[in-house]
Amino acid sequence: MSERFAAASGRKVVSRTSAEELGKLAHIVIDAKRRQVTSLVVGKGRKALLIAWDQVSGFGPDAVMIADETALHEPRGDREHADADGKRELVGKRTLSDAGNDLGTVTDVVFDPDTGAIESILVDDREEPAASLLGAGSFAVIVRGPPSRPLPDDRSASQQADRQ
Amino acid sequence: MNLLLGSAIRGLPVVTIGDGEDVAEVRDVIYSPEAGRVVGLTLNKRGFLAGRRREVLSAETIHAIGRDAVMLDDESSLILPESSPADLGTPPSGRDVTGNDVLTEAGASLGKVRDIVVLVGSNGQVVGYEIDTPSGATGYIPLPNELPVSGNALVVPDATKAFIEDDLAGLGTAVEKFRSEPGIR
Repeated sequence: MSERFAAASGRKVVSRTSAEELGKLAHIVIDAKRRQVTSLVVGKGRKALLIAWDQVSGFGPDAVMIADETALHEPRGDREHADADGKRELVGKRTLSDAGNDLGTVTDVVFDPDTGAIESILVDDREEPAASLLGAGSFAVIVRGPPSRPLPDDRSASQQADRQ
Repeated sequence: MNLLLGSAIRGLPVVTIGDGEDVAEVRDVIYSPEAGRVVGLTLNKRGFLAGRRREVLSAETIHAIGRDAVMLDDESSLILPESSPADLGTPPSGRDVTGNDVLTEAGASLGKVRDIVVLVGSNGQVVGYEIDTPSGATGYIPLPNELPVSGNALVVPDATKAFIEDDLAGLGTAVEKFRSEPGIR
């Protein structure tokens, strides 16, 4: 069963040891190049904590289970602070093609809750396969756009070919 | 063929593909009429720290100039002017072609350059000019792929006259037809 970022947002995060709710899932952080969920942000604002994906014992339909609260850590470094603040949140982000054209807004992200693998990205509800994901950051999500038609005898064609 | 005006590139965010960050924004477009293409971009800072950035972007390291952003593979493409190609780091004076006459090889003026027309998704390929025609109208002319021997895109083949379009959409088709004319490359 696939899971979606928008539906998972706000889901309770529970300690398996104490059965206590430790907070609510605020953001899901991914590595765009590996097309993989890497961590979860629990709670918002100054109380936001992170947990690495491999420390999550079960991403269920009603709760996200983790070992206990010691698995959560405070954000370290600029990147994790940006993640904790939700600056790199994908849903709601502008999407650009690698040709530099605006494709719309990310409306949801579909992933496998067992492995954390990203399956697809919905841009204005159009499905983009995970394979076309090239990058994601605080400004935009970048996907491989439709190839632009090159001109015959393009003066810059040799340069373009060199880069590819 | 999707086209955009050089002036529309100014102010676009410069975005890294892998990181999705806006590392700068376009201050100005450096066009070389001798090369017949954009050779690079000068930059402004993004956000609240607005103002000039000293680094420039050489066209060779630009992944694509799009309608909404200029895309880079990574931030290492931003280089200091002194370490950039000469025509970008120290552009010769008179590099701004705005207001210059476009002359046919036979010596007729087609009008004065108002802007350059760039191929969307390329790294600065210029396919035509927006001109003010002698009658006062706006016109769009295609450029050949290979420049005439004179080596300046302000001197165009005589056949160009038959391909003056009155809008940017028409120019896209005109460029392809023009470049398939006998004697035009």
